[in-house]
Order: sequence, then C-alpha cells, then structure tokens
Amino acid sequence: MATASYPLRGQYVEEVKRPKLSEYLRWSIDHKIIGVQYMVTSLFFFVIAGALAMLIRWELLTPQTDLMASGSSYNTLFSIHGTMMIFTWIVPMFAGFGNYLIPLQLGAKDMAFPWLNAFAFWLIPPAGLLLILGWFVGPAEAGWTSYPPLSTIFSPDGQTLWALSIHLLGLSSILGAINFIVTIKNMRPAGMGWFQMPLFTWAIFATSIIVVLATPFLAGALTLLILDRVAGTTFFDANNGGDVLLWQNIFWFYSHPAVYIMVLPGFGVLSEVLSVHSRKPIFGYRMIALSSMAIAIVGFTVWAHHMFTSLQPELRIPFMITSMIIAVPTGIKIFSWLGTIWGGKLRLNSAMLFALGFLSLFVIGGITGVMLASVPVDIHMHDTYFVVTHFHFVLYGGSVFGIYAGIYHWYPKITGRLLNERLGKLHFVLTYLGFLGTFLPMHILGMQGMPRRVAEYDPKFQDLNVLVSLSSFVLGISTFILLYNMVVSIYKGKKAGANPWRALTLEWQTTSPPPAYNFVGDPIPFEDPYGYGTEASKAYLDAMEARFGGKPLIVEQSTEPEQASGD
Amino acid sequence: MQQDLLENQLSREELQDLKNKRAGMFVFQLSWIMAFVSLVVVNWQLRFSPNWAPEGTQKADPILAAFATGALILSVVLVKRALNAIQQNNAQACFTQWLSAISLGALFVMIMVFEWLAIPSGTQYAQVFRLMTGFHVFHAVVIGGYLIYVYQNRHLYHAMNYWAVEAGAKLWYFVLIAWMLFYIVIYWV
Repeated sequence: MATASYPLRGQYVEEVKRPKLSEYLRWSIDHKIIGVQYMVTSLFFFVIAGALAMLIRWELLTPQTDLMASGSSYNTLFSIHGTMMIFTWIVPMFAGFGNYLIPLQLGAKDMAFPWLNAFAFWLIPPAGLLLILGWFVGPAEAGWTSYPPLSTIFSPDGQTLWALSIHLLGLSSILGAINFIVTIKNMRPAGMGWFQMPLFTWAIFATSIIVVLATPFLAGALTLLILDRVAGTTFFDANNGGDVLLWQNIFWFYSHPAVYIMVLPGFGVLSEVLSVHSRKPIFGYRMIALSSMAIAIVGFTVWAHHMFTSLQPELRIPFMITSMIIAVPTGIKIFSWLGTIWGGKLRLNSAMLFALGFLSLFVIGGITGVMLASVPVDIHMHDTYFVVTHFHFVLYGGSVFGIYAGIYHWYPKITGRLLNERLGKLHFVLTYLGFLGTFLPMHILGMQGMPRRVAEYDPKFQDLNVLVSLSSFVLGISTFILLYNMVVSIYKGKKAGANPWRALTLEWQTTSPPPAYNFVGDPIPFEDPYGYGTEASKAYLDAMEARFGGKPLIVEQSTEPEQASGD
Repeated sequence: MQQDLLENQLSREELQDLKNKRAGMFVFQLSWIMAFVSLVVVNWQLRFSPNWAPEGTQKADPILAAFATGALILSVVLVKRALNAIQQNNAQACFTQWLSAISLGALFVMIMVFEWLAIPSGTQYAQVFRLMTGFHVFHAVVIGGYLIYVYQNRHLYHAMNYWAVEAGAKLWYFVLIAWMLFYIVIYWV
C-alpha cells in the first residue's frame, strides 16, 4: 500500500566496522556496546554457575557425602549456583538483549538515558565479584531464597556479602528498567503506535514494570537482613519479637514477580523468532502483547504460594486461585504461538529449533507449575525434587532456551556474521536430550519424596540420580559448543548481510552491525511488524535489500523456489 | 502557557531529552515509593509480634510529629511556588521561597532526629520506628542536600532552563508523599 512512499532511493552498502575489543572493556554509553557487555558478562557467570551445577550433580552420583567436605559446603554450591544463575545470568542476559535491541527496534539512536545505562551495567561486575569473594570469608549457604534464621544466625560472613551483592544487582536492574520504560514510552518513531511495537519490546516493557514495582521490596528485605546481621537488630529473630515469616512475605513479593522478570523477555524472543522463521504473521498480536501485561499484574498477587506450608491455612485457597489464574494469560501466549507456526513455512534453523524447544519444555514446566499451585499437591511435593524440576523446566527450558534462540537469531545483527548452523543443530540436539535426561527423571524422584538441598539421600534413589547426573554432564558440555561457535564465528562465520532472515522489525533495516547511531536518517517502520507474506511486506523488504545490499538467506516463495538455509 | 513557550524554544533533541527526564523521574518515584511500602508491610506484620510494645512502652510523641509534618507540608508548598516562579522567570521570588523551604525541611529533619534519639530501645516498636524514620530522614537529608546544591547554583536557572529546579521540587514532593505514608502508619493506624 504505502510502498511508493518509502524514501529509500540510493544504495547504502557501506560496510560498518565492528567496534574494537578494547571498546568493550571501557566505560561506553553506546547502547550496542553496553548490550554486548551485559551479554558477555552474564555468559561468564553462566559458565561459573554451570560449573557449580556440575559439582552438585557429581556429589549426587552417590548417596553419601563424598565429593564435598561437608553438608555445609554442599549448601554453598546450590546457594551460589541459584543466585548466580538468576541474578547474574538470566536477568542481565535479557537486559543485554533489551539494551541492544530496544533502541534498534524503535528506530532510536540510543536509550533515553545513555549514561544511566552504562552505570547500571557497571554495577554488575563488582556485584558478581562480591558474590565470589564470599568464598574467602565463609560463603553464603542459605539457598538463593536465604530464609532466616538460616541466613541470620547460621550463616558465615559471606551471607552479608551475598546480600550486598544482590542489593547492587537489584539497583542495576531498577535503573535499567526505568531506562527501558522511558525509552519505549517516549522514543517510538512516527508511525509506530503501541500496537505496532515489536513483541520483544512489549515483553521488555512488561518486564520493566515488574522490575520497578517489585525490586524495591527486595531492597527492603535485604536491608533488614543486613541490619540483622551487622547492626544487632532483631527483625527476623523470633526470640526477640521478630518474625521469620516477614522475610518470606517481603522476599516472595519480589521474587515471585521476578520469575516473570526472567521469563517474559524469553516470551518476547519467542514471538519474534517463531513469526520470522514461520514466514507468517503472528497469531493474536494484541493478545500476546496484552497477556504480558496481564501476567505482570496478576504476578503481584500470587507470592504466598511459595509459603503454603508456613502460611495461615485460611489464606491458602485465595493464593491457590490467583496462582492458577496466571496460567490463563500464559496459555493464551502458548496457543497464539501454536497458531503462528500452524500452517507456516517453518525454517528449522538453530534459532527456530530452540524456539520450538522452548515451547515444548515450557508447557511441561507450566503444567507442573499448575500442579504445584494446588495446595494438596504442594503440601506433598513441597521441598522435593519435583519443585526443582518445575523451576528448571521454566527457567532452563524456558528462559535459557529463549536466550539461545535469541543468540542464534540476533548474533548476525550484532556481529555481522552468521553462527555455524551445523554446530548450532548439534548444540540443540545435545542440549535438548541432555535437558530431558536431567530433568524428566527428577519428576519421579520428587514424587517419591527425595528432598531438595540435601547432599545425602536414600540409596533407593541412586539409579535415577546417576542417570540425571550423567545427562547433566552432557548438558554442561553442550554449552561449550555454543561458546566455541560464538567465538569462532566472529572471525570465520559467513557474512550475514543486513537482513539474513528477511525480518520486518526495524533492527534489521540497517547494516549489520549497525552504524554508530544505528540509522542513517529516520527509519520508516513497516506498518505491521509481523505482516509476513503480503505483497506490501515483500516490496518493503526488497526496497530495504536494495538499499543495504547483502543477500538474504530466505527467498520469498513468490520469486524463487525455496533454498536451504544457512549453507 | 509558560510551558508552551519553553517547548517552542527547544530543539527536537532538547525537547525529547526533557520529556525523557520527566518520564524518568515519574517512573523512579513510582518505583522507589515501593521501598517505603515494603517498610509499611514490615510495620504491619511485626505489630502482631508479642514483643511489639509491652505495657508501659514509651511511644513517639505525636504532637511533635504533627508539628514536623506541618513544617514539611509548608516546605513543599513553598517549593511548588518556587517552581511556578522560575517558570515565570522570577528567579528572585523562586529562590527566596526555595531557601525558606530548605529551612523548613531542616526543621523537619531536626525534629525527626530528636524523635529518633528520644525513643527508648528494646522493643520491636522502637526498632521499627527507628528503621522507618531513619530510612525516611536519610532520604530527606540526601534530597535536601540536592536542594541546597540547586540553591548554590541559582544563577544558572531561568524560565528556559529550570530542569534542575523542577527535579529538586519533584524529589521534595516525593519526600512528603513518603512521609505521609509513614506518618499515617506510625502515628495514626
């Protein structure tokens, strides 16, 4: 329709040089540099936290405590593993995607507050360092939830460093979220209303609302914890009129919404990847966008389902109902994604495979979530491996698979090179099988009553635990395939061109990597960010291709027969 | 009307920048008030503890606190008037009122510090009282420090450039809103 009016005359094929390595090691206010800084830093912590997980599984090969010196050092393993995976891997990784992509998807030059953006990033390395330094003063061993009195009277000084570290990370994510909200609200280009925004942007917007409203509660809880530990107050000390449930309430009022902080951006990635690689308009755009907001709102009313066994019994049923209600907006998303790929022209490259893997695993994790939301089931399963496998299905099968899909999808934009598809598929197969081998048997272990967070277990559980541990080693090794692929492809990968996937969102309508201020002139967004398969979208993409040069890997069916993707 | 004048004078980038700062301030306030709400939750939950306020516990003086609250409200009114004055390019009127507002803020802080020190420790009530008022006074002092900084640089601001004044005023409103939340919870409910 509007094809004639795109001001796209003239070629724009200048090759944009990648920033030098040294630029990534310095203070920089360019959102693209900061985005990569976030991603690389969190990948670093992912490897450390993953190594801790391997040690946990190694210890659990046998029913006795043998690898670790004592139960306490085992406690430290899973405490730091959980904390790092959540606060220094998934949350900052998605913040990295957001930083890199949000200004590009909005056609903006940078974020609203570039300096604040850099500051938010530079809080993360010292915070991670504090977490690691804890090892030298007696590490935290109260789990990532750090319930008092475990975290007050029974933990060494590392617990204080732990709390300080989480304080910094919380501040970092609040500052980042303020930046995202303002950028998304104020810096959309002319012609892009709320409902022409890419769904990843919607997801980051919903996430940021949760962050700004919930994270201050974490700050409150941690402040009390630090005061109890160092200033002699007794907020959590029942002997002196304190209340341990106080921590649980405030902590979960943050930490339940925090699970949506961790998974909503993954939903956003999925909406992009599934639509682009199915070559079909997204099904139910508005429903996907608004269900993110619904999840953000309902997410604030469910926190006490983590406390079914410690809560006043009359409050259980209301929280059970709200917890089940939140499955509805999530279900809307799942069915919209199925509607998107239904009848689409699926392109099973690595990004798409991980997106489909996300879909399959997240459904399992979601269903076990609904099971755990039901009070009688939860009382039975509480603190067993069933809970462990539930949240690994949603956080690994959901968030981490989402991150992987995002990496394969946007790596060409960030580096200008494609990741190796063969290695990508190997990565997917090993990760998927390793994941299922690790976490499916845990359902059975949990139902049979194997408790979590204990280094020693009943010998009758050993067979399944050996299977779980061996699969987890496969899962651990598979990660290095991705890391190798990412490093090697920077130099050896095939040139990607501006828009290898023929995607319609604005981040692809510039060179790869984008120039210093992202776009030359004001970019014109296509009227529908997911309008694949129409004549108008084809004209738009052809015009963009003529402008930026580079061969896309996807050739629209109407012009030529399909070719294999990648190589 | 003054607002329109300002917006006509600024370039597209400057206007965008101002809009961003205003929105950012709003989101920040929305976010940070939740930290105060979390302490209200602390108060509500620990109230049911057996050691909350045993017989004969000396509570904080409500009359003194009402006096402090009055000073803070007056101070916010003056800050608002100062902001209006600078928007009309009346720097003289702006910073006279600004200085009075800072003085009233200092009075508020002094009274609350006195209350903080006067309360005998040993009960949950005292501990939570000190937590809440201490947290609030900390914010009042930091933001008050910023108001003094703005006052020191008063020659820089006029009707075309008053974001620093506006930010100070909005942060000072925040101090009042947070205080009203605490005041009601600590002294009334």
